[in-house]
Amino acid sequence: MHELATHERDIVPQLVDQVRRFMAREVDGAAIDRRGVIPESVRSGAASLGLFGMSIPEEHGGAGLSLRAVCDVISEMARADRSVAIMVGLHAGLGTRGPVELGTKAVRDAYLPRLASGEWIASFAATEAGAGSDLASLRTRGEVVGDTLRLTGEKAYVTNGGFASSFTVLARTPGFGGARGHSLVFVPRETPGVEIGAEEDKLGIRGSSTVTVSFDGATVPLDHVLGTPGRGMEHAYHLLTWGRTLMSAGCVGTGRAALDAALAHVTTRRQFGKPIGDFAATRLHIARMAARLYAMESVVRGVADVHASGGSLEAVSAIAKVFASEGAFKLVDRALQLQGALGFLEGPGVARLLRDCRITRIFEGANDVLLLRVGLARLAAHDVPRGHILGVVPAPLRSAASEVDGLAERLGEVVADVRARHGVTAVRHQLVLQRLAVAEISLYAATNSVLGASSEEQFALASHATDLLIEEATTSLDALSRADADERRALAMSEVLYAPYRDGRDAPGLSP
Amino acid sequence: MFDSLTRHRTIALLAEIAEIEAQTLRGSERLREDLGLDSIGSLELLATIASELKLDLEVEDAMEIHTVEDACVFIDRQYRAQHPELYACNA
Repeated sequence: MHELATHERDIVPQLVDQVRRFMAREVDGAAIDRRGVIPESVRSGAASLGLFGMSIPEEHGGAGLSLRAVCDVISEMARADRSVAIMVGLHAGLGTRGPVELGTKAVRDAYLPRLASGEWIASFAATEAGAGSDLASLRTRGEVVGDTLRLTGEKAYVTNGGFASSFTVLARTPGFGGARGHSLVFVPRETPGVEIGAEEDKLGIRGSSTVTVSFDGATVPLDHVLGTPGRGMEHAYHLLTWGRTLMSAGCVGTGRAALDAALAHVTTRRQFGKPIGDFAATRLHIARMAARLYAMESVVRGVADVHASGGSLEAVSAIAKVFASEGAFKLVDRALQLQGALGFLEGPGVARLLRDCRITRIFEGANDVLLLRVGLARLAAHDVPRGHILGVVPAPLRSAASEVDGLAERLGEVVADVRARHGVTAVRHQLVLQRLAVAEISLYAATNSVLGASSEEQFALASHATDLLIEEATTSLDALSRADADERRALAMSEVLYAPYRDGRDAPGLSP
Repeated sequence: MFDSLTRHRTIALLAEIAEIEAQTLRGSERLREDLGLDSIGSLELLATIASELKLDLEVEDAMEIHTVEDACVFIDRQYRAQHPELYACNA
């Protein structure tokens, strides 16, 4: 479990090592953050390493690496700089999976070699200003005109958009799949009618490009529709599973950077005559950071395993995205806390990590919404096998495995109770769903942590991670039992607080 | 009669939740891909119908509904099973 495929075992560690050296030599994360741009030398360096072709098949000039291998590379890049990792990760996932998996022969032959070499960088344009998590309310339209598709509309928050040469665009296409059909369309930037807006001024990942892209009658041949015309929404959800997985891998890299920074600080910073890392409270924080990081990596590798075995990534990539993005933020926040006031300054770099990773809890599915989906998926799943791992682990992990099995059993009972009490109206009990989802995610992470451990060091990390995750799941399930009361209380309070805003009066403030 | 009642209400509510006109809905349209109702939207639809028609509906059953016609047939079947007295009176 969690191993690279046989044919990648030699290549990928070498590539990851090359990436580590490239990032250390060529990438100045602080300068990228300060200037808000990734230097051309970094893009061309990444291209010469073949990073833009990692996930593109060999027949089109790429390396055809597995999702697991690409995750390893993106994680290593993010460890050094998140803007650069996002540029490559977005290209490898959302940007090129459409043409790779769904493109016509004409599209693949014409464009994939350029995308594989890095001559072209890819982007993905689905979100609109009025439609964030609600992809169905999109307004961009594609009208069939003869044997072409004419696009009109505007996309927002387009990552890589400022320097991308191609866009995978999600548009309503009434000409396909009924009046409400959507389609994914491959649109080269050079197409007349494609206009790129100004760069957004962002809190973090400031070197990453984020723009609006408008389509004013931009017309492409019909063979640029990706996949089945009219099934674009379904295709987009599929591509998002790659996007979420690679983003999760980036979060592992950010988490590792946070642990690197914390270790460097606590082993050198002295207080009361000794390094602060010698104090028990600090050791505990460091141990918990390492355990959480191990669990994050285990989850991402678990998703890659599911992909390698041909399974659907829809549920597990959402789990990974929430767990890894929340985990990265916790790790960075803890690293900053351990550095004290120094961490609040931009110089040491942890402040930038904090700003850079904040967006990962929002984009590619806001975590609050993904928690609802994970909770619903768990409720809907028939007799999902969970737990039962005690019999398959080595002796050092039996205690952890027993805890995981116990959590699985309790979660199963809670799920049965929620089903019986609420039926389909569970969808209206958002606190119930979210708290259920937290426990489900913790269970998934603990299971992957235990089953993926194969060395003494990993046994210790897996055991510690399990303790941490069981604690979080238990807290969440305990809170679930009072969710209805919490909802009622929140409803009453929010009604009072919202009233002046709805009426257009001045806010009264919160003082008693 | 009750078949048309449940079908009418299902379609009316579906149109309301998906923000489209009821008369343009076709039975073969898919809730997710065509109407943009993801798992949350589909369950919201069924929760509304369950409240209106006083039905107990299971989450896992809801996950088997893919099209407008699936939803109409499912609701009708549940309504007949859970309110047999209404059908007995009108038989």
